[in-house]
Amino acid sequence: MKKRSKWTASALAGGAAGLANGFFGGGGGMVLVPLLTGRCGLDQRRAFATSVAVILPLCMLSAGIYWWKGGLDFVLALPYLLGGFLGGFLGGKLFRGVNMVWLRRAFALLILYGGGKALFF
Amino acid sequence: MIGWLTALLAGMVTGILSGFGVGGGTLLLVYLTAFAGVPQNQAQGINLLYFLPAAAMALPAHYKNGYIHRPTVGPAAAAGLAAAAVAAWIATAMDVQLLHRCFGGFLLIIGMRELFQKEEGQTPEEKTSEEGRR
Repeated sequence: MKKRSKWTASALAGGAAGLANGFFGGGGGMVLVPLLTGRCGLDQRRAFATSVAVILPLCMLSAGIYWWKGGLDFVLALPYLLGGFLGGFLGGKLFRGVNMVWLRRAFALLILYGGGKALFF
Repeated sequence: MIGWLTALLAGMVTGILSGFGVGGGTLLLVYLTAFAGVPQNQAQGINLLYFLPAAAMALPAHYKNGYIHRPTVGPAAAAGLAAAAVAAWIATAMDVQLLHRCFGGFLLIIGMRELFQKEEGQTPEEKTSEEGRR
């Protein structure tokens, strides 16, 4: 692929992830990873790791805007922050040995459950 | 106290997944809204905060392993920042119940896609991960 079209594909993928990140406060990776493997030609493992690097600054900005508009509860968030800190560290360490396919299948089911509940109940 | 520990554990489990880049944030949102009964807008704020340490802790390992594709990061992050700003602005001004329904629709779409997706972009060293499976 030409350099320019790769740049455009990356920018579009990032833009889509940004919409999800700002609007839903998460889920950017779920949008970004398939676009990186499909449109940008990254292999799966690279796409996952790269998406973490792309989404971190997006989260900072979105969190800043949520905070500014009064939507952040730091006390409520604290245990999740600590958990995320530990989990993120482990995730980085364990990443090389994990089976992606089964991991994603298990998620799909949980996510569908959450989606159904949010939509219909 | 129990609630606090449960929250810590939920953050840690989803944090591992966030470190992988596999949608830990999405899962934490599902946990918060569907199981813990946190309102959608509060849950989104928590999720954004939670991702910061999770990602920051995972990135050094990814970088060291050479998994970060740097030419992609620049344009994707630049466009993403602009889009996130607009979307966050809209979300924080929106009716919480409507936001919750939109989130439900979003989950159904990505859940279906995850379930039925074809495998693409397998890494050559993917075999090692087969062996790493318990």
